[in-house]
Amino acid sequence: MADVSSSFSAFAADRKLQLLPAVDIGLLTPLLAESTVGGQLAPAARGLIAGETEGVVGHLAYKRNKTFRFNVALTEVPNSTPLVPRLFCVRQGRSTRDDEFYGFGARYSKLWTESTKLNDRYTISTSPYQDPIWMRRLFSPALVDYLAHVEPADFSFELAYGSLLGSVEDDDPGPDGLAALCEATAKVAERIAKECEE
Amino acid sequence: MQINRTGVFLIAFFGIAGLALCIVPIFFGASAEVALIIGSTGFIWFLVAMGLVWYALRSNKKAAHNEWIFKNGIKGSATVLYAGSNATVNEMPLMKLRLDLDIPGVGVREVKKREVMPVFIANRMEPGLVLPAYANPQNPDEFILVW
Repeated sequence: MADVSSSFSAFAADRKLQLLPAVDIGLLTPLLAESTVGGQLAPAARGLIAGETEGVVGHLAYKRNKTFRFNVALTEVPNSTPLVPRLFCVRQGRSTRDDEFYGFGARYSKLWTESTKLNDRYTISTSPYQDPIWMRRLFSPALVDYLAHVEPADFSFELAYGSLLGSVEDDDPGPDGLAALCEATAKVAERIAKECEE
Repeated sequence: MQINRTGVFLIAFFGIAGLALCIVPIFFGASAEVALIIGSTGFIWFLVAMGLVWYALRSNKKAAHNEWIFKNGIKGSATVLYAGSNATVNEMPLMKLRLDLDIPGVGVREVKKREVMPVFIANRMEPGLVLPAYANPQNPDEFILVW
């Protein structure tokens, strides 16, 4: 944890963010809902995480049958809920829990995209009955290309009811890794917000 | 709700094991009393499997009907007025929603909806939240809520 803390200290100092020992951001997205302590990030930093994008970046650790660790960046995409309540773009093979027992689960719709690279890299899902025409507009060739090649390689994002959570699986990505996470999250937020405005 | 791999395994297990418990004692020449006791257990297991199959088929039929509404329905919006829960299914809250449903050509009216939602989604169902909705063009009282 000492290394993670120093990474966050260095990143917060570089971007002039408010460094926080811990912050509870709530069960806003599926990844945060896995947390047993109410979506607590520790350590964390708050402020302009990339360009003009305001948010929180922090280290998420939770224990189920084993300990899972992620570094996440949270920002808001106002006005996205009436158009896309849920959109999850999660790296193929990512594990967030190993103890699923129930016989029935909530429905999700897997999103089909024309990009093989995108499909190879991510599992993309939305709410059932999500407007497919709007989704095709959102996943423009430019966004598809960006997501297919974006660094960090383990980047994933979850948009749920206006909250956008970018995440990476590194235990300690270092200040540069945190910067890349924030840049990628901000870019996705910007693209979704732009499409919602149109 | 949809059946997942664990559900398929449970149906197969209770169905096959239930049938086996009904039939095997007879083949092995067990006494009538033993066959009845084991067979009754097997029958109950088989009924459990059939109940799960019935639930899965009903869920699929409902999903197919909703798919029709989605493809042929009128797109509108629903604003959450109230969201609450006092029951759970598989540890997921059964949410009772009161909504202002706004469908073009039909108008705005207050409706109720019950949905089983994962915990993090249930937490997000707050008054003022606006969600997409699709109404059946043949019966605007029937609608699907996109959440």
